[in-house]
Amino acid sequence: MAELVEIMGISHSPNFPGQIAEPNPEPAIVEAARDYDLMRQRMAGSRPDVLIVIASDHLNQFFMDNMPAFLIGKAPRAEGPFPHEMRTFGIAPYRADVEVDVAKNMLQLAPRMGVDFSFSDEFRIDHAFTVPLNFIRPEMDLPIVPIFTNVMAPPVPPAQRFFEVGKAIRRMIDALSSNKRVGVLSSGHLAIEIGGPKEGRSSSDPEFDRRMMNLVGRGDVEKVIEEATWERMMASGNVTPGFLNFVLLMGLADGTAPSLWGVRFPKSKGSVPYMAWDSQPGVLP
Amino acid sequence: MSKYQVDKVMREVILDGKVASVFKADTEKFLEGRDLTEEERKALIDVDYATLYRLGAHPFLLNGFTRLVWKGDKAALNAEYRKNIAPFGYPDFST
Repeated sequence: MAELVEIMGISHSPNFPGQIAEPNPEPAIVEAARDYDLMRQRMAGSRPDVLIVIASDHLNQFFMDNMPAFLIGKAPRAEGPFPHEMRTFGIAPYRADVEVDVAKNMLQLAPRMGVDFSFSDEFRIDHAFTVPLNFIRPEMDLPIVPIFTNVMAPPVPPAQRFFEVGKAIRRMIDALSSNKRVGVLSSGHLAIEIGGPKEGRSSSDPEFDRRMMNLVGRGDVEKVIEEATWERMMASGNVTPGFLNFVLLMGLADGTAPSLWGVRFPKSKGSVPYMAWDSQPGVLP
Repeated sequence: MSKYQVDKVMREVILDGKVASVFKADTEKFLEGRDLTEEERKALIDVDYATLYRLGAHPFLLNGFTRLVWKGDKAALNAEYRKNIAPFGYPDFST
């Protein structure tokens, strides 16, 4: 039986690495960089053998010709991001082996847990994977299992479904035949608008960010699911549904409150959240 | 109304620099044979982002596409983009 040793969620903002690298970053960026370094140390201290990475795709790999809601990647290697993302944001590449046996085992277990995942033997990971991985495991020495979620192309599954899929992934980890130490890294963000009238320099809805992070921090699943509707998230910013990957994480943690969490509010770009749960042994009911 | 086809064009241009060059060199030819309305075709040729936005183009793709193929001053584009799409609010971008 595999052991779930870490559950962690951070932002995948492709602007954040560049903001940190500026000569004089604003205080909130300095603090957020410190938060993420502590997250990196925390993950290292959990000594995972494999990282399950839950992230979206920004219509780079998957498109409306064939759009999976939830997909497990099982090619032997994962590489990214896409060339145009490196050109636009100056972000670093990432390469990792995929723990194919775990990915296949998860696919076999999933229907029993109530989720029919799609799968792919040929994919590239975009900045939603590479930015968090470069923060949390810059050594690129851990194999990963990438799980792609659709938060970009409506109809996007509702928050309730993200929560349920998180629970199912937890059960799948518990039922894995290997005895590996499994870390989970989920990649998302709070309110953000791109290509819409509200696009600006800071968060498109700091009140949404504060409210949701407080609810996540309290482990208030019911309120998060009630409030994180498509309409509410769209009103906060037209790309805000990336928040749903954190709702999935709440399911993975069985609705418990995170052990630590926080959010920084830079003036220059969107809010920078983090959250992590201590490992909790045992199979969910 | 063929939002999917508009999104498809914008994505192709974003993903591949060579495709972007072909698009910019002769947009009318690039769009030949594609199942677009005349309004969509003209808006893509003119890089009329406000019309594409109003018709329900995916805003994330529209943002990347417009900045990539814009022939005028990019700083001016940043200043006018939000102002010009604001009157249309939030059109449904589901395909």
